[in-house]
Amino acid sequence: MAEGSVIGQGTAVRGNVRGEGSIEIYGRVEGDVQVTGDVTLGENASVRGDIAGARITIAGTVAGELRGSEAIVLESTAQTAGDLTAPRIAIEEGARARGMLRMEEPGGAPASRASEQRRPAPRPVEAPRRVEAPRASAMEAPRAAPPPPRPEPLAQKKAPPAPVVPAFRGLHGRKKKIRARS
Amino acid sequence: MAGTVIGPGLSIEGELTSQEEVVVQGTLRGTLTAKDAVSVAPGGAVEADIEAVSLSVGGNVTGNVTVTERVDIQAGGRLIGDVKASRLTIADGASFKGNVDMDV
Repeated sequence: MAEGSVIGQGTAVRGNVRGEGSIEIYGRVEGDVQVTGDVTLGENASVRGDIAGARITIAGTVAGELRGSEAIVLESTAQTAGDLTAPRIAIEEGARARGMLRMEEPGGAPASRASEQRRPAPRPVEAPRRVEAPRASAMEAPRAAPPPPRPEPLAQKKAPPAPVVPAFRGLHGRKKKIRARS
Repeated sequence: MAGTVIGPGLSIEGELTSQEEVVVQGTLRGTLTAKDAVSVAPGGAVEADIEAVSLSVGGNVTGNVTVTERVDIQAGGRLIGDVKASRLTIADGASFKGNVDMDV
């Protein structure tokens, strides 16, 4: 206990967490987490901010960049939106990740040239919006589909009873009245 | 397992809100609100206003303290700030500077 830190389930931090040693997060952190040791994020935990550590194990939700000097492990319950950088990266079946993967040292090994040309700046803040976008369009699609069939049958039914019968009757009525008076 | 532990070498700058026990062995700057006991271990440093059920000071605390139950400043502990609590103990060897409001 003495060497590690724990952010418990009922605890929320708004601000940056930095320092030496390992940290286990079971609560919520809104800010960056930067430690020299390992980072463990529990299943119901969430971090909105970047995480840097030696070995990063994620079972919760992260919106931000992950940088592991040793490894990143996304467990089956993990959800990440942000780039992952570590020499070794493991993603379990069921984990959801969005972002670029760089299997290299976070410091910027030679292999990073190509990847940095493709996308120079990490955008952890925008990532969550992209995740929400497909869900919203999927919900709207079924609602928008039904309307088209309606107009076609209605137009076909209205078309036949178009002939102007009442106008013809009216003419008869007027003619009879006119004859009677004269 | 204590609810939340800020280990030695770790520093948090910002707001910390907790429903559970908080132990500070490292550094915390900002505000600390807990619905349980807070203890600042020897070597720990808090520069924050603290709201909690009880507070035990073995390290350094700078900030105003509002506690519903008790504050204990242990030998070697240092507290600079106003204290609002129904009970307060200051051990021999502790240092304290500030006002005390014991709801009399």
